[in-house]
Amino acid sequence: MSDAAPDIVLEARAITKRYPGTIALDRVTFRAYRNQVNVLIGENGAGKSTLMRILAGVEAADEGDLLLDGSPISVRSPREAAAHGISIVHQELSTLPNLDISENIFAGRELVKAAILVDRPLQDFRSDAALRRLRKPMPVRTPAAQLSLGCRQIAEAARTLDQGARILILDEPTSALSTAEADSLFQVIADLKRAGVTIIYISHRLNELLHLGDCFTVLRSGRVVGEALRAEVSRQWIVERMSGNAGTGDVQSRVPIAGAPELLVVKGLSLAASGTDEAAQAPLHDLSFTLRRGEILGVYGLLGAGRTELLELLAGSRPSLAGQIILGGKQLHISNVADAVKAGIVLVPEDRQRDGLIPEMSIRENISLGSEKGFFLSRARETLRVRELAGELNIAARDLELPVTALSGGNQQKALIARCMMRSPSLLLLDEPTRGVDAVAKLEVYRILRRLAAKGLAILFTSSEIEETRTLADRVLVLCQGRISAEFSSNELTDESLFAAASPAVSSAHPSQSSELHAHD
Amino acid sequence: MTEHLISPGRSDRLATSSVRALLFLLRARAVLVLLLLLILFSALAPSFLTANNLSILSKHVAISAILAIGMTFVVLTGGIDLSVGSVAGLGGMVAGYLLTQGLPFGGSVHYPGVLVAILIALAVCFAVGLLNGWLVAKAGVAPFIATLGTLYIARGAALLLSNGKTFPNLGGVAVRGNTGFTLLGQSFLLGIPLPVWIMLVLFGVVALVAAKTPLGRHVYAVGGNERAARLAGIRVPRVKLVTYLVSSLCAALVGLIIASQLEAAHPATGESFELNAIAAVVLGGTSLMGGRGSVTGSLIGAFVIGVLSDGLVMLGVSEFWQMVIKGTVIVLAVAIDQLQSRLQAKFLPYLLSASPEDAQ
Repeated sequence: MSDAAPDIVLEARAITKRYPGTIALDRVTFRAYRNQVNVLIGENGAGKSTLMRILAGVEAADEGDLLLDGSPISVRSPREAAAHGISIVHQELSTLPNLDISENIFAGRELVKAAILVDRPLQDFRSDAALRRLRKPMPVRTPAAQLSLGCRQIAEAARTLDQGARILILDEPTSALSTAEADSLFQVIADLKRAGVTIIYISHRLNELLHLGDCFTVLRSGRVVGEALRAEVSRQWIVERMSGNAGTGDVQSRVPIAGAPELLVVKGLSLAASGTDEAAQAPLHDLSFTLRRGEILGVYGLLGAGRTELLELLAGSRPSLAGQIILGGKQLHISNVADAVKAGIVLVPEDRQRDGLIPEMSIRENISLGSEKGFFLSRARETLRVRELAGELNIAARDLELPVTALSGGNQQKALIARCMMRSPSLLLLDEPTRGVDAVAKLEVYRILRRLAAKGLAILFTSSEIEETRTLADRVLVLCQGRISAEFSSNELTDESLFAAASPAVSSAHPSQSSELHAHD
Repeated sequence: MTEHLISPGRSDRLATSSVRALLFLLRARAVLVLLLLLILFSALAPSFLTANNLSILSKHVAISAILAIGMTFVVLTGGIDLSVGSVAGLGGMVAGYLLTQGLPFGGSVHYPGVLVAILIALAVCFAVGLLNGWLVAKAGVAPFIATLGTLYIARGAALLLSNGKTFPNLGGVAVRGNTGFTLLGQSFLLGIPLPVWIMLVLFGVVALVAAKTPLGRHVYAVGGNERAARLAGIRVPRVKLVTYLVSSLCAALVGLIIASQLEAAHPATGESFELNAIAAVVLGGTSLMGGRGSVTGSLIGAFVIGVLSDGLVMLGVSEFWQMVIKGTVIVLAVAIDQLQSRLQAKFLPYLLSASPEDAQ
């Protein structure tokens, strides 16, 4: 390692980070080379964001060292990281919408004059200078709420630049950007590189990575599984390492479903894009597809492709713009979740903690939530039914009266599937069915879903993981920027074709899309 | 795999039982404090534990307990109802107006019977609850603001009814056929004041609903995680609406009971009662964030506050010191509540793994 030392600006050596239930990073060594775009690739849950949070001082590693220019540093807070010249632009932007650009650039580190007064002129001047360095001059008194996502990202980059960042971490910066906005971000990255800034770039988007990256590191399940320079990297090289083509064919043989009746017919489903904050929704354009009884349909797509929006629309938690949903020959008018449940459509949400579990309640109460009937609860009947389902779904709990928070991620997920099954649905929707679930429990969830499908349940799931999509789905739809860009049956599916269909093209090669862009420049 | 458990060592296992004991004491703190106060006051004031005093005490407690019982559901959903004191005032004034002024009807004045007057008063307060529920559940107004608004509206309405004056002599006139209102607050059943019976019945009903009905479970679910509750198909607005209706109806009963006890309806009745009710709920261990707590806790909380203030009066503690002591008790209770939930979260893995076989 010492022979390469002159080139390495930042090294994370043998970093280990554990969370209750899982090891997020397992002795990961990551090197960032000076004045290069260092790409970090991996699927959801591979540990990319955790590693970056450690570099940026947001979280502390359990074991391992950070070395800056070869000497060990301690980074215990974002402030300390900034002092070392390490800054991060988070995946979820942290711009404050009620403040203007220059206030945002100096939020938390305001310049003062006369000891107590904010020095607005100096702040504005330096903000303007930073934006100019990024070749993106904007009126610095514009409220952040009025900026497009792309411009907010630029404002954040300007903030890090003004802080004297030598190392800039960009976490999935393009996931919510339109093509033109992404293109102008790439311009900014090239400029920063020229200005002597080292970039650490995280993304799933293959085209973009091959276009920008100089050095590549691939993470899978908390381990580094590949490291190479641009010249040695090909699309295939990345995909193979990311998906780890191994040992997953044993989920269960598939039941032929070609002759089964069509259960769900979706025609022309559309949704308008809206919002720019955490409530932002990606647009959907004219989606049409069908789903048979007993079939498992996977919807693969990158972040921001509209996967979650599609499921929430079917589950009634998001009103649609246009389109028809026909279930079992009947056209549905779903205006809320209760309507969808009544029609037989249930959803296991992506974010268990935020949208699924009631932490104060027991496992039993969580499973039976929403399917209580009559005026009085029947504890005996409920316990019986919950116990039956818990057995069927292998929920490993000593006692169903324990708080649901006592379960591991995998078992919490199974409890939410059990909650859905309490309603005897005909269509089960799952958004990222194994997010935050360890590898063993993952396979178990797949087996359970296969078993449920074999009994005639139609399953629609979305995933941003290639391996999961390949393992679980009978048929795959690929979503790219709100459109179905490809459809594969399980036997014609290859990792590369899947990934290619999901990746939006880099550069403005799609003039047809420019009408819907809202870049400001 | 025992991945979700932090496996405790031998010494941790020994610590487990003391942690359990500590958590039990913390959880039962309201009862312990109540017992402590009862022992303390009966030792210091010989007349404290007499039948007569306990009867007066229970009547006082009934007032704040009924409000607290009604408030519990609202707080469990993560809301708050500041309007209960005013609603109590309005309820009493509506009944007072009907009993003393009557209703002008076709040129002459008609005096409705006591039962009708009570029902109309309840209906008016029900409407305030409906407004609260609509504002919070449908219009999306923050509960604090919505019920602060109705606090003023209801108080203003109560003052308008009499132009700020008191309606005296609610005993009724035999000729008008509207006697008997005083029974509500002053009569006894099996030697126990009627308001106490009302408190007990309400407690039974609300506790039953909380523990044994889908509605009760949905109240907890909405408070625990509103997004998850909505995504589970629970009609969240409906659940919230019901909680505000329950709260307003309980407040109306309190107003009627007070008017009946005093044989007069005063428009300022119930001022700052909402604070007592909230204090009782919080003392009883219900989290203002929602999702955690119980109706039984609120009842005990009301007893703690009632015993404390009556006991201090009997000991001759000055009114000003009483306020200081009451405030201290409330703040301590909430601080201990925080301590308890932190300890519970911290020791949960130990408590779970205390028994030998672990989940796979």
